[in-house]
Amino acid sequence: MTRLEGQCHCGAVAVRLETPTPVGELPFRACQCGFCRRHGAATTSDPAGRITIACAPDALSRYRFGQKLSNFLMCDTCGVYVGSLMEADGAAFAILNVRGVDLPGFAGRVPESKTYDDETPEARTARRKALWSPVNLALLETSA
Amino acid sequence: MTAQSPFTWRAGGCHCGGVRFEVAVPDRVEAQSCNCSMCEKTGFVHVIVPESRFRIVRGRERLTEYTFNTRVAKHLFCSECGVKAFYRPRSNPDGWSVNARCLDEAEGLEIVVEAFDGKNWEANAASLAHLSKEPA
Repeated sequence: MTRLEGQCHCGAVAVRLETPTPVGELPFRACQCGFCRRHGAATTSDPAGRITIACAPDALSRYRFGQKLSNFLMCDTCGVYVGSLMEADGAAFAILNVRGVDLPGFAGRVPESKTYDDETPEARTARRKALWSPVNLALLETSA
Repeated sequence: MTAQSPFTWRAGGCHCGGVRFEVAVPDRVEAQSCNCSMCEKTGFVHVIVPESRFRIVRGRERLTEYTFNTRVAKHLFCSECGVKAFYRPRSNPDGWSVNARCLDEAEGLEIVVEAFDGKNWEANAASLAHLSKEPA
């Protein structure tokens, strides 16, 4: 079992990816859209695994653009792009920004360049359901 | 800036368009890709300029400031899309660092990225200090 943990810069948002897939076989993608390029993002996900994103209820900013099919999640304190979350058919799917949360095990790998500009909304949703990970969004009560 | 200026004002901004800036740079821009914890997480590629060669066009009120450690650097990101288009760097608090990833594509603009070892910041930061000095 692979268990990778990471966090944003300030630590307000913690993430975990648990999967039976060895870390070296996980995908590593650099989407070339204007959002991902500006964030220098490189992402991973695994449909056989599970992502957990844990933070206080008000710690994340959600940003939508383009086809508005998913929420791009940023730490409200340090601005780091943590990952993206899509809900479809009553289930939630996510990717993690490996660089944003400094997920271990990817050092030295060059992400695969990806362009999704020509996708229809249906194709985009289907691709994400097939490739993204089931996700738990754990909103923690703060002790303060 | 005089007619002989070696610089051209180039535009850029965040993803949602709320924050826009302009920066005066040569046609061949040298940028630094830093490996420190903050730059790795935000994908920031530095184009460091003096105060006089940078201006915020719009969106100042949308900027969220984040500081840590010595709190000299003022990290700024768009509160809507999270993009860090520019900030006040600790190495050059008298100037600005613009994110090369946020420059609009423009004819004649070439960006050359070199590595900067920000993991060993204390040993290397002085090599950047001249980049924000105003001309005498």
